[in-house]
Amino acid sequence: MLSRRTRIVLAVLVVTSLTFVILDLRGGQGPLTGVRSVAANIIGGVERVAATVFSPITGAGSWWSTMRDQAAQIDTLTAENERLRGEAQTVANDLARVKALDGLLGVASVGQYRIVPAEVIAVGPAQDFSWTVTIDAGSSDGIEPDMTVMNGQGLVGRVLKTTSNTSTVVLLVDTSSAVGGRVAGTEEIGIVSGTGRQDSLSFQLLDPQADLRVGDALVTFGSKGGRPFAPGLPIGEVVEVGGTPGQLTRVATVRPYVDVSTLSIVAVVTRPPRVDPRDSLLPRAGVIDPSPSPVPLGAAASATPSDAATPQPSDEPSPSPSVPAIEKEQAATLQPSSPGDSSGSDG
Amino acid sequence: MIWRQALVIGLSVFAAVIVELTLLSRLGLPGATPDIVIVTVVAIALAMGPVQGATAGFAAGVLVDLAPPGDTLLGVNAIIYLAIGFVTGFVIDPRDRTVPVVIGIVGLSAAAATLATAALDTLLGSSRVSWEQMPGMVLTSALYAVVMAPLIVPAIAWVVRRATPEVSVISG
Repeated sequence: MLSRRTRIVLAVLVVTSLTFVILDLRGGQGPLTGVRSVAANIIGGVERVAATVFSPITGAGSWWSTMRDQAAQIDTLTAENERLRGEAQTVANDLARVKALDGLLGVASVGQYRIVPAEVIAVGPAQDFSWTVTIDAGSSDGIEPDMTVMNGQGLVGRVLKTTSNTSTVVLLVDTSSAVGGRVAGTEEIGIVSGTGRQDSLSFQLLDPQADLRVGDALVTFGSKGGRPFAPGLPIGEVVEVGGTPGQLTRVATVRPYVDVSTLSIVAVVTRPPRVDPRDSLLPRAGVIDPSPSPVPLGAAASATPSDAATPQPSDEPSPSPSVPAIEKEQAATLQPSSPGDSSGSDG
Repeated sequence: MIWRQALVIGLSVFAAVIVELTLLSRLGLPGATPDIVIVTVVAIALAMGPVQGATAGFAAGVLVDLAPPGDTLLGVNAIIYLAIGFVTGFVIDPRDRTVPVVIGIVGLSAAAATLATAALDTLLGSSRVSWEQMPGMVLTSALYAVVMAPLIVPAIAWVVRRATPEVSVISG
C-alpha cells in the first residue's frame, strides 16, 4: 500500500531521529555537540531578531492588559511622564554629586555584583517541563557557562551554555536546578531544588535540628568562586515546613521571589561581590537592587575573595575574624532582634 | 519540483519554531505553550500528503530540539512529529476533510504530541516530566491548537496551492 519511495523516506527519517536520540543519550562531548552549538548560534541569531520584532507584543508586560486598557494606560503614563519630567531636572545634578562622592570614596564597585544586563528572547515550551530561557547576551559579552543569573527580585538561575550572542539559562525552578541556600539571619544551610512548578521550590535543611519557620527568607549560600551561584542573592520565602525538628530530613516548601513566568530583563553576574552581602538584598531590608548596602572600606579591603566564597558547614559557628565590621553593620540595620545569630563566615 | 516543496516545508516549519519560542511561549498563557509547530506540521501533511508531512515533522522536531533554549534530547520531538505528520497525512481521506474534522485532527495531534513527548522523555530517563500537571497540559495544548487551526491550516494550504500545485491536496 505504501509506495517504495514513501517507505524509503520514512525509514531514513526514523533511523536518523533514532540515531540523534542515541547519540544524545550518551551525553558528554559527542559528535552532536558541535552541530548543536552551530545550530544554536544560527537559530539564536534569528531568535534575537524575532524577539525584537515581537517585543511590542511581549514586552508590554502583559498581553491582556495591553489589549484591554490601553487608553487608560496612556492617560496614566502621560500624567506620570509630566511629573517625572519635572523630577528629572534635578537628577542630572544629583548624579554628578553621586559620581563625585563615589570617586572620593573609591569604593564604587567593592562588594557589588558586576553584571551584564540581558533580555529574555525565547522561552522553552511549557509542555517540555524544562524551565529554560534564552537571553540575548552571549560569550561575546563575557558570559560563560555556570554564571549566576539574577534580576531585581533575586536569583533567577544559572547559565547552562552560551553561543556568541545568546545564552541558555536554567531557571531555579527547573528540576535539574539545585542551589545552596541559607536561612537569612541564621547559619542554617540547605539545598534548594526546583520542583518543575513555577511557584514552589523545595528546601532540604542539612541540619535537621534547625528551627525553620514559615516566612523565613532564603538567600544563596554562594559557591566556591561565586560559580555557579554568587552569595547573598534572595531566593524565596518559606511557605510551608514539613516534618518536625529532629526528623532525619526536613523539607520545606519555598516560594521563589522571582516570578519566572514574567521574566524580561535579567542580569548575569560576571563577577560576584568580594564580600558576601549576607541578607542585605532581601525585600524586607528595602534594598532590591543589584548593588548591596554600602560596604565599609576597611572591612572590604581586609576580606579576601576566598573568605567570601568558601563554604563552611553550619554546625561550626566559628565567627570569621575577617569580616566583623560588615556583620556588625548588617546586624544593626537588618536583624536588630538577633544580632548574635548573624555572626559567621559562610559564603 | 522537490526543491520548491523543501523550501515551502523548511520555511513554514522554521517560521513556526521561531514564533513559538520567541512569541507564544513568552506570552505566559496558562497551561501549555500554544504548539504552533505541530499545527503547522499537520497543516503541511493535510495539504501535501503523508511523505511531506513526515518530512516536515522530522524537520520541525529537529529544529525545536536544536533551537535555544531547548535542553531536551535531540531527536525525541523529531520522531513524534514525524509520526504525527505521516499519520495525519495518510489516514485522513481528502474527501472527509470537513472543517470540524480538520480542527479535531489538529487538536488531537497537539494532545498526542504533548503526551508522547512526555512519555518518551520519561522512558529515556528524564526526571523533569510532572505527570500531575499532564492533564492540564494536554487539555490546554489541544485547546490552543484548535484555536490556531482555522488560521494556520488554510494559510498553509494556500501557500502549497500557489507554490507547489503538483502536490496540493493529495499525493503519495
